[in-house]
Parts: sequence; structure tokens; C-alpha cells
Amino acid sequence: MSDIWQGPLEKIDDYRWRIPKSYKPGMRVPGIIYADEKLLKDIRHDKALEQVANVAFLPGIVNASLAMPDIHWGYGFSIGGVAATDIEQGGVISPGGVGFDINCGVRMLKTNFQYEEIKDRIKDLVYTLFSDVPAGVGSKGDIRVSAREEKEILFKGSKWAVDKGYGTEEDLECTEEYGAIQGADPSCVSDRAYERGKAQSGTLGSGNHFLEIQVIDQLYDRDICDEFELTLGQVTIMIHSGSRGLGYQVCDDYTKSMIHCLQKYNINVPDRQLACAPVNSPEGKNYLGAMKCAANYAWANRQCLMHLTRKVFEKVFGMPWEKMGMYLIYDVAHNIAKLEKYIIDDKEKTLCVHRKGATRAFGPGHPALPPRYKKTGQPVIIPGDMGRNSYLLVGTQKAIEETFGSTCHGAGRLKSRTAATKSINLDALLKELESKGIMVKASGRGTIVEEAPEAYKDVNEVVNVVHNVGISKRVCRMRPLGVIKG
Amino acid sequence: MKTYELIEHTADIGIRVKGSDLKELFRNAAAAMFDIIAEKKEPEIKKQAEIKIKQKADNLEELFVNWLNELLSLSATKELIFSGFQINKVDKNTLQAVAMGEDIKNYKVNTEIKAATYHELKLEKSSGGWQAEVIFDV
Repeated sequence: MSDIWQGPLEKIDDYRWRIPKSYKPGMRVPGIIYADEKLLKDIRHDKALEQVANVAFLPGIVNASLAMPDIHWGYGFSIGGVAATDIEQGGVISPGGVGFDINCGVRMLKTNFQYEEIKDRIKDLVYTLFSDVPAGVGSKGDIRVSAREEKEILFKGSKWAVDKGYGTEEDLECTEEYGAIQGADPSCVSDRAYERGKAQSGTLGSGNHFLEIQVIDQLYDRDICDEFELTLGQVTIMIHSGSRGLGYQVCDDYTKSMIHCLQKYNINVPDRQLACAPVNSPEGKNYLGAMKCAANYAWANRQCLMHLTRKVFEKVFGMPWEKMGMYLIYDVAHNIAKLEKYIIDDKEKTLCVHRKGATRAFGPGHPALPPRYKKTGQPVIIPGDMGRNSYLLVGTQKAIEETFGSTCHGAGRLKSRTAATKSINLDALLKELESKGIMVKASGRGTIVEEAPEAYKDVNEVVNVVHNVGISKRVCRMRPLGVIKG
Repeated sequence: MKTYELIEHTADIGIRVKGSDLKELFRNAAAAMFDIIAEKKEPEIKKQAEIKIKQKADNLEELFVNWLNELLSLSATKELIFSGFQINKVDKNTLQAVAMGEDIKNYKVNTEIKAATYHELKLEKSSGGWQAEVIFDV
């Protein structure tokens, strides 16, 4: 990993860099990386840029293989990659372009507490959240579902949870795709995937997934803050989780089957993890049907996690969540493929947009947005590391024009887990976080070290790029108060 | 003694594993994967389940990834941690094996491995036997 990537990189402007199509025979389009010089220095240190070039091999890819400033080395696609394929031109869909954790995503809710009012209760909240919200590897939830119900979740997504009483209709309006993407086909999901998803609804999972109590420490766009009813010092909550075992199995099943498609459809890609099939082929349609099921499962999961969080606040403060103003701002997916319409060369085209560690960022007036966000643009939630900041942004028209309505998804990893484990002392880290007023509870001690702030890029630098380029716009910044990890 | 070493990867975990023959390579790779996932809480071994595994693939590399992913999938659905592996047959396209697992409650689980990937996958015959490199999504 100490090898520095030596491929060609042409500077377009201060925030955009190009890997020319001529870099590798087989690239159909160039690669474009959104980053400043400082971030680029780190990006060159792993194999992410090679992966950006590899993605440019995908049949039907339009304009460019894109990389957001939080890009880092993944498997197949880089993390922080965006690729859109034209489905009428044999454009493909790749399970590797979505990832194992299908619809890994994040939601943010507000409260009407000010930090000063609850600063002495953070400890109670963290301990109660830790005991009442199932977290950790293979964790199982109290929200148990029958086989018939699990099928219903795959169709109905968050709506299933709301029908059970775990939320409101308003929550659905504040979720990407209203919490249920259309076209989910449970018959495309294997029995094994069903089984692997069983008992995991309403569980956080492990690794980089988390639940955080945060406080707004900086306002950028006062008009939009007013519109969203957000003020300095206000306490907010962020939940980061995905589709758990069900999504992993769907990805595994279809990667396996799509390796055969490479030969069948005469597709040349330099990495088998980029296995893919035309969106319009039977294999492509089946994957899409199954991926949508896993996406809906993830939305239901985050809805259940939010419900559990509201219950914890009710327990600690002894009043209903509505009275505490615990309303959902928005929920976004950052590992997903979507069929979306864009104008390409003056013609409207349906593209399959892969966002692998990237967030949808639709601007004002976009038809997919609910009425409440038509004027402001879509809220975009960018979690950072547990020691620094997270951001609320909004999408822009520029993102629609330039990045297939996409922006970054987080800070992006800098250090490997093994390197973090070697160089970071847990007790010193906890002390340092405590001195910043951040309390952390995790089911595994190893997780805290692996997820230490210094293992990540500075999210402030990442957001700076997307804001200055204009593919999303800063609304406000948060800092963590209490962190629950798997 | 560890039969594997970790390979640096920014977001995920990679391993390099060796075996004197293919059977040992498959066995050591599976053992390495579960060594990363969990550690035993109690010293005594209570074998609680034996699961027969059959896999087919177009080539040896895919067979290797399929084997590891099948074990992850079974581990999740049966709530077992596998600690013993008997490889009855392995050639370029087929694998027949038995995995011995114990209740996950006997273990402290450290890391969730979502899957073994094909990215930078290497499987080659070396002078002393076989060597493989595989990256896990964690």
C-alpha cells in the first residue's frame, strides 16, 4: 500500500483531475476525480485510482468513471465511485458497483433540545441506547418477523415498519424513494439470503456502522437552516446502517452468477469483482429485482433503528418523542444502483447510476423530491469520523449536470484497520475523545481503535471540495457527543 | 502458529495463506478467516455441528472464493463458528468438504466479514506447495 499510483493524472482545475482514456486499452471513457491537491496526495497511496480506470471498462458507461473526494481502495469499484450506464446501449449493472452492504445509508433526525439542556444526560442516553439498540456482529433484534413478513419487508421497506407502528407517514416522505424502491422482486432473492436476513431487522450491525448523538456547531446556509428549523447548539441524531446479512448474500449470489455473464455477453473487465450483465438481460433484471429487495430491507432496518432511538429518548426523558421534536430530516442510501433519467447530448436517457460510497444529491425542483424539499434541494447527510464532524448538505442542479446527481458519502478511510490497530492505543484514544466531550460505547474494543479518527480523512476537507465544486452545498455541521458502535 | 499473514488494505482485510497441498490451502484459508472473525471464550471444544459442503466452479480461484463465502453464509444462518475443516476432495472444479462448527455463543466475535471478494485474488503453486491471497469485505 506504500506504493504510489504512477498512472497519468491531468489537472482540469483545482478540484477536478482526469485519468485519460488512453491510460489503458479497454477504457471506454476517462476517469474524473473530484479532489484537491492535499486529498489527492493520500488518494494516490492506494489502488483506488486504478479502480477508477477499471470501472471505465464497463459496457455502456456514459461520460466518465467518477470518483468523489472521499474515494479509497475498495474491491472492484473504488469506494466513492459513481458510474452511469446507458441501458439502451447495452449498459450494464454490476453487483460490485453496489457492494455487499446494499443500501448502506444514513439518516438524520433532529430534536428540540439544546446541548446545554441535556449535556448532563448524554451518559444516560448513551448507556440506554447501547442496551436497547442491538448492535455488534450478527446481532439479533427484538423485532422478530415471520417468513411471510420478511417478504413483505422486501416489498414495502420502511412502510412495513410504519404499518407496525414504528414511525409515521411523515417519516416515509423524508426517506429517499419514500423508503421503498419500486420493482422489488422477492422471487429473485435466494432462500439463503432470506435466512441470513432473518432476525436482523432493527439491528445496527458492526464495523463502521453507528448511532450518534450530535450537536450542530456551525451554520452555513441560514435560510435553509431556518427552512429545516435547525439552530446552533441544537441536538441531532445520526444513524448509519445497511441491509445486514440479506444484502451480503444477494451480492454474493449475483456476483457468482454474473461471472458467467462476462463470457456470455462478451464483456471485458480487468477485475472479476466487476462482474456485470446488461441491465436489460434476464440476469441484470433479476439482480435489480433482488437488489431492490435488499434496499427496502435496509430502509425498514433504519426505520426500526430510529423507532428504537425514539423509545430510548422517551424512556430517559419521560415524554413522547413528538414533544421532543424527534423528526426525521432525511434518509439517504450510499451503496445502490438506480435507474434515473438524465439529458445526455440533448436527449433524455434512462441510465443505471451506480453509487458505491456516494450519495444522491438532487437539486431544487427535482421531481423525485417530496414537496417539503422541492425548494431547497434534497438533504444530503455526510457522516464523518467519531472524533470530528458530520455534515448536512443539500443537492444542486450542478450535481445533476455533472455527476449524475451524486456527491460524496463520508470522510473516507485513510489508514487500514491493521495499521490503526497497531498504532493507536485504546485507552489514550478514549481519554482524548472524552476530553473533547465525546462518549463512546462499542460492543467490541477493537472496533473503536479500527474506527479511530486518525484512520479517516478529515471530512471537512472532503466536504470543502464538493461544496466548492458545487455538486452539493453546505447547510450545517455537527460534532459528536455520544457514539454507539457495533 | 499462524498459518496466514495479513495484507494491508485501506478499508478491508486481506490474507496471504499457504498450504503444502490444495487440501491444506483450503483448510488453512478457512481457519484463517474464522480466526479473524472470532476467538474462543472457553478452552474446551464442544463440536456441535458437522456440515457437508459441496461446491462447483469454473476454475480453482472461483472455487476457493465460493468455499469461503459458503462458510460465511452457513456461519451466519446456522449461528456457528467453524473451527475444523476436512477437505475430502478438491480439484479445479469441485470441492467436497465437511466443516465442524460450534455455537457462536462459545466465541467472542471480533470482526464481521461480509464476504470474500475476487478483487486481487491470487492462487498459485509455489515451490513449497500452494499460496493464496484473498481480500475480505469487512
